[in-house]
Amino acid sequence: MLMLAKKLLKRVPLTLSFILLSLSLLAQDRTVTGKITDSKSGNPIEGASVIPKGTSKGTSTNASGDFSISVPGNVNTLVVTSVGFGRQEVSIGSDNTANVLLDAIGQDLNAVVVVGYGTARKKDLTGAVATLQAKDFNQGVVTSPDQLLQNKVAGLEITNNSGQPGVATTIKIRGNNSIRAVNNPLYVIDGVPLDGRSARPSVNLGANGLGFGTTPDANPLTYINPYDIAQIDVLKDASSAAIYGSRGANGVIVITTKKGTSGPMKLDFNASFGFNAGYMKRYETLDAGEFKQAISKYGLNTALIGKQDVDAMKEITQHNLGQLYNLAFSGGNEVGRFRASFLGSRTQGFIKESSLDKYIGTFGGQYKFLDKKLTIDFNLIAGHITENIPNVSNTAGSQGNLVSAALSWNPTVGFKDNNGLFVFPTNGSGNPLALLEGINDVAKVNSVLGNISASYKILDNLEYKFLYAINNSTGERNTNLYGWLQGYAGLSGIGYGIKSFAELNSQTFTHTLNYNAKLSPRLSLNALAGFEYWKSNFGNSSFAAGGFNTNLTQQTRIDIPYTNLLQNGNTQFPPSTFQDPETELQSYFGRAIFNYNDKYLLTGTIRADGSSRFGKNNRYGYFPSAAFKWNISNEDFMKGGSVFSNLGFRASWGITGNQEFPSGASQEQFGFSAYNTASQQNVANPDLKWEQTKSFNLGLDFGFSQGRIYGSLDYYDKNTTDILFQSTAIQPAPASIYFINIPGHLSNKGVEFQIGANLVNKANFSWDVNFNISHNKNKLTDFFGLGSKNPIVILTGQINGQGVSGTLAQIITNNQPVNEFYLKPFNGFDASGIQQIGADPEFAGDPNPHTLYGIGTTLGVKKFTLTINTGGAGGFMIYNNTATNITNISSIVGGRNIDKAAFNSSEKPASSVGASQRFLEKGNYFKLRNATLTYKIGDAGKYVKGLSVFITGNNLFVITRFSGFDPEVNIDKSSNNYPSRSIEYIPYPTPRTVAFGFNLSL
Amino acid sequence: MIRNNNYKVGLVLIIAVFAGCTRLDEKLNSSLTNQQTSAALGALGTALLLKAAYSDFTGPFNDVEQLINLTGNSSDESLVPTRGGDWDDNGKWRSVHAHTWNPNLAACLLTFNSLNKMNFDATNVLAFNPSDVQAAEARFLRAWSLYYLLDLFGQYPFRNPGDNLLNAPEVKSGAAAVDFIISELNAILPNLPPAVANMNYRANPDAARMLLMRCYLNKGAFINRAAPTFSDADMQQVITLGNAIMTSNRYSYTANYFDNFSVDNDVKCKEGIFAYQNTSGVAANNLDVKARWYSTLHYNQYTPKNPNAGWNGFSTVAEFYNTFGVTAATTMTLNDSLLDKRIGGRYYPGVTNVSGLRPGLLVGQQYNEAGVALTDRKTPSHPLAFDPAISPNMTETNAAKEEITGIRVVKYPPDYSNYDGAAGNDLVIFRYPDVVLMVAEAMMRKAAPDNAGALTLVNALRTARGAAPLASMTLVSATNYAPNTLLAERGRELYWEWVRRTDLIRFGVFLRPWPYKTADDPKNLLFPVPAQALAANPNLKQNPGY
Repeated sequence: MLMLAKKLLKRVPLTLSFILLSLSLLAQDRTVTGKITDSKSGNPIEGASVIPKGTSKGTSTNASGDFSISVPGNVNTLVVTSVGFGRQEVSIGSDNTANVLLDAIGQDLNAVVVVGYGTARKKDLTGAVATLQAKDFNQGVVTSPDQLLQNKVAGLEITNNSGQPGVATTIKIRGNNSIRAVNNPLYVIDGVPLDGRSARPSVNLGANGLGFGTTPDANPLTYINPYDIAQIDVLKDASSAAIYGSRGANGVIVITTKKGTSGPMKLDFNASFGFNAGYMKRYETLDAGEFKQAISKYGLNTALIGKQDVDAMKEITQHNLGQLYNLAFSGGNEVGRFRASFLGSRTQGFIKESSLDKYIGTFGGQYKFLDKKLTIDFNLIAGHITENIPNVSNTAGSQGNLVSAALSWNPTVGFKDNNGLFVFPTNGSGNPLALLEGINDVAKVNSVLGNISASYKILDNLEYKFLYAINNSTGERNTNLYGWLQGYAGLSGIGYGIKSFAELNSQTFTHTLNYNAKLSPRLSLNALAGFEYWKSNFGNSSFAAGGFNTNLTQQTRIDIPYTNLLQNGNTQFPPSTFQDPETELQSYFGRAIFNYNDKYLLTGTIRADGSSRFGKNNRYGYFPSAAFKWNISNEDFMKGGSVFSNLGFRASWGITGNQEFPSGASQEQFGFSAYNTASQQNVANPDLKWEQTKSFNLGLDFGFSQGRIYGSLDYYDKNTTDILFQSTAIQPAPASIYFINIPGHLSNKGVEFQIGANLVNKANFSWDVNFNISHNKNKLTDFFGLGSKNPIVILTGQINGQGVSGTLAQIITNNQPVNEFYLKPFNGFDASGIQQIGADPEFAGDPNPHTLYGIGTTLGVKKFTLTINTGGAGGFMIYNNTATNITNISSIVGGRNIDKAAFNSSEKPASSVGASQRFLEKGNYFKLRNATLTYKIGDAGKYVKGLSVFITGNNLFVITRFSGFDPEVNIDKSSNNYPSRSIEYIPYPTPRTVAFGFNLSL
Repeated sequence: MIRNNNYKVGLVLIIAVFAGCTRLDEKLNSSLTNQQTSAALGALGTALLLKAAYSDFTGPFNDVEQLINLTGNSSDESLVPTRGGDWDDNGKWRSVHAHTWNPNLAACLLTFNSLNKMNFDATNVLAFNPSDVQAAEARFLRAWSLYYLLDLFGQYPFRNPGDNLLNAPEVKSGAAAVDFIISELNAILPNLPPAVANMNYRANPDAARMLLMRCYLNKGAFINRAAPTFSDADMQQVITLGNAIMTSNRYSYTANYFDNFSVDNDVKCKEGIFAYQNTSGVAANNLDVKARWYSTLHYNQYTPKNPNAGWNGFSTVAEFYNTFGVTAATTMTLNDSLLDKRIGGRYYPGVTNVSGLRPGLLVGQQYNEAGVALTDRKTPSHPLAFDPAISPNMTETNAAKEEITGIRVVKYPPDYSNYDGAAGNDLVIFRYPDVVLMVAEAMMRKAAPDNAGALTLVNALRTARGAAPLASMTLVSATNYAPNTLLAERGRELYWEWVRRTDLIRFGVFLRPWPYKTADDPKNLLFPVPAQALAANPNLKQNPGY
């Protein structure tokens, strides 16, 4: 009875509408057609609802965004709504057509996500994939594409290793997936997997008797123009990444560049000008006044006090204006379109004499032939990078790092004497301004990434695609250390020059077949089968000489670098040339996606990877995955009346691999070293294979109130085994290590939560916020040697500086997170102010952040838009190696500057130097990464459209208790290729940068 | 139409499969496979492999952290004091001198691995069809690395040529270990290339004899380090082998002791039974011998060119200095006719006139080439006068003394033509006087001791060194530093030449207290097997007490 009543009630509105409809029919209906498209992407919107205002009879758009609706004669407004877009009322007057642009709010569930050899709609994703489009990227001064993503994706940790422009970043997706140094995800650009290495030659200035150490690695993505990127997809779980097989374990970052669109020719131009506004955070050392106090406080010789008052940390920095110009134009029609872009930029380093210049051109297009059955796509990126590399090395000892020289410079002493010559103190601090002039290190890298593909529609639902891509980079680097610098072993009065080259060449051939079928009215299948061949080759060489006749005194400097006359060197070091064993990868892969009525989706993938790196007994690895999604909101019982506009549950499982061990590691190798010698250099391990990560993911996607509030919650459990390990070679052996797989487990478990909301969306006022947070726990278990029950102990994390050589601060061992700090306890100071360090090291804290979060907001008021991106990390420790060795209190005895913390403690200068938990600090921080204020001027004159001006600031402030320059730091302190984590050591300081500029279109 | 499409699909699949026909054999590009090594290089390849085994000298014998450290700093002749913040290095240097090391001491692992690299490279030569001479040379180098492994760790792993490197090799220890080395050396003696006069860069019968002498002399100690015994037969062997070298007349005492180690020691040294050749200014194959003087010299000891030329580290103690018959308090105005030349302090051409440095044991005020007194780097600076007194815990915190504490030892006169680059001094490994001193020792240790014969040999050496003859001499005395002992004579002649620890153990005095080392533990008679090595090879046994 009750049921019947309900049914009746439900019918009432229908009856009413029938009556209304009948009435409207009387007033001459007309048919209105039109197309609904996304105002930003230009993509048609499927399923948008179109209702004549004041009526209840609506229609929805088809897959092309088209609609046709009968509109009563007395109605001249259409109401258009779609999940993920703002509601819009469109006045149509008496027109019979209405093309409507909808502004996306919140999440576009129809957005296309690149999932590896194909695409999917956001709402059909079964795995954990985060998608960012250009509008979501970080803004401001960005020198490489990875910086666009910082703090934007839950579970994606991107650390700027230091403040140097163009330097490599540390990227981790869902924690540490390997104990090996190469932990970065696989980059795939427009379907082309990259090698991940840079062709910028690396130079070790710690060799041949020099004490300068190694300089930080270059970012391999600098030649990608950030303005060319349309979308970045981060494949986080195994079900998404397993299609990349043996390279998927660290996650995959898929970059899609902008393409031309059909329509009139379009030209976009933007220019910006930026400068470094000062230290984001200063490292506190004594100023001249405090230095004088310190000398008297410790009863040191007053001769240490000079007559000047200088700030060396300020002297080494610059505010010079950097510039960036970017031009892109595109055009096309239904059968052919193209896009070309040019970027020219100079990023001035915060430290003088350092800079990053980029010249990047791209040209791409898509042309269709044979009645659009054949599609040719091509894309060419050519980039030239010139880098002036500052003398800020990772592993310098007591001397040989510019920042170290500046930090320890006596603030009461001038840099030059009365004759205008640099002063070289004998206390080992070095003269920072002399180092700026006396060391010149310039690298040039040319990179080409070209791909061409042909797709042929064999049948309407069957497409074959062939892709060929080549990525070639060559680098040259000229490093000059002039002999007029005094106080440097191996250099002073001698001079040293090194010329180095590197080349990286990789090629990809991919064949795929894609099949779409409706198996039944409700069940559809998308199937993919493919073959891929990839090879990569890396080589480098260097030529060094010392003992020159020029530039040996300050007075007789000439403007000819040593690298132009290496033959003049009295000591010719043996040249070093090396060509890596070639890596070849041959893979077969397939994927099937079943979709039942948009409610139940099932994805299965498999990849078989054969790699030349693997040992003979393990040539092929198999990487399967399966995933399921239940789109709960598409269930009938959820239709209408539900608070959820979107609700989906995901579960996935899969296996991915990591093959990042040196090529050649499985083979017996005989190498040539010094003249007249050859020796075996490697222990062959024919069983060597990939490291394998099994992962399991549970996810919930949700959206409320028409998609204005949206987000997802994920839980994952990853387990890496067959851990690639540099086993101690069983002596007697040709090398101290060889590679094996050990059956230990590296576990990463975590939760990720991401939410976004469109709080206000009015004509003159809009406000979006987004927030993400993730928590990861990392632990090694069963970490025993083969056939042993003794835990493996790997010490890493070099502590550098005078008096601590050979000290390692981190441990990789059983039941601990990777890189756990392992340090002696600090027991305070004794009565005479001597630091007391305990005898035995102990587990002292985790350098891996447990929590990562990001908060962003965009506020639009009339023509102003303010975008703020912030983020931070928590639950980790940083070791301050700078404080241990550079600004430690005993330095003041020789007249070197010390840090304020040491000055304010009860420590006395007689205290010894030593690494301990004293210098372990909480790393928690919150950073204002970027704030941008844009003013839309709109169209100007006849041609200029969409003119806008902006001012933007990066790294505006940081909240942290860490005493170093920047809690976001990861100086490479690896030992034996085992990585280190979160150790600061005289890094390139992070500046605040401010830039202003404009965008326009023609 | 459908047929046609099937044809297309098939074609595409065929293309795809054909494209996938790579065998995935890894091309090495810069290095060779085993097969290529023997095929492409042939006999030349074997020579290259042998040369690589010779080049393995570099790590163990030249790196300041390896044998120089383990055999020198662990003994009474050498230490590295911590100087303010310098040379603390987490206590690793102090622990070697104070005998407070543990199985994680990095120096043990470094040395274990580098000696075994030599062991491996030498063994590998045998797998590549060597000539008899090449095989003998390789077996000598292997025996030599095994000798030091046995000496330091009491055991050594051994592989036959071509063994699977993934399997743990057998381990020899105790008498079997010594006997194997002895049998190897005896076996190769006939095939080794003949020794030449003055300076030998290749394995030769005299080097093999000398290593055999060391084996026989130390055999009792290797078998029982706590209470070494000396069999008469072994001592007779030492004497016989030594006499064979001494009566060959290939070697004599070099007139100027420091010419044995100078840049032109290739022509001036008359004592070179086995050495590694370096060529001045040629970086290829140079083992970077400058560490011999860098490790000890003060930063300011070569000011005209380079104010940071030294590392200001390795030192010796006053008590050792005093065994030369002087006291460390003496001024450096040495009377040539009365004093042992091995203590140094004399003008040395090509060195003193360039930098003011007088090779030998450096104590007191140092001067530059113009005779001007040097100062240290401190503000205020102090006279660069090396102070024999080192603070009791080897950690100098007195600012005035931080840089100048400790007597320095410059045995190799620096090659000033390539001070920072490739120095030309040959590294002398086996020197003739050691042969003579070993014979003398065997004479005193044999069943019917011949003390007079031993004293004659020692006094002849002393005379050559400008030292007064000893009236009497014992093997050892109540303290290690008593001057009239054979132990002290070995110290004076062979200081900083990789033998002192072995000597002290053989003489039964390694566990005695000496300056900056107090109480000791018998476990320290052997270094611990490095934890990593132990984990890799279950056949290795950790030494008792660790």
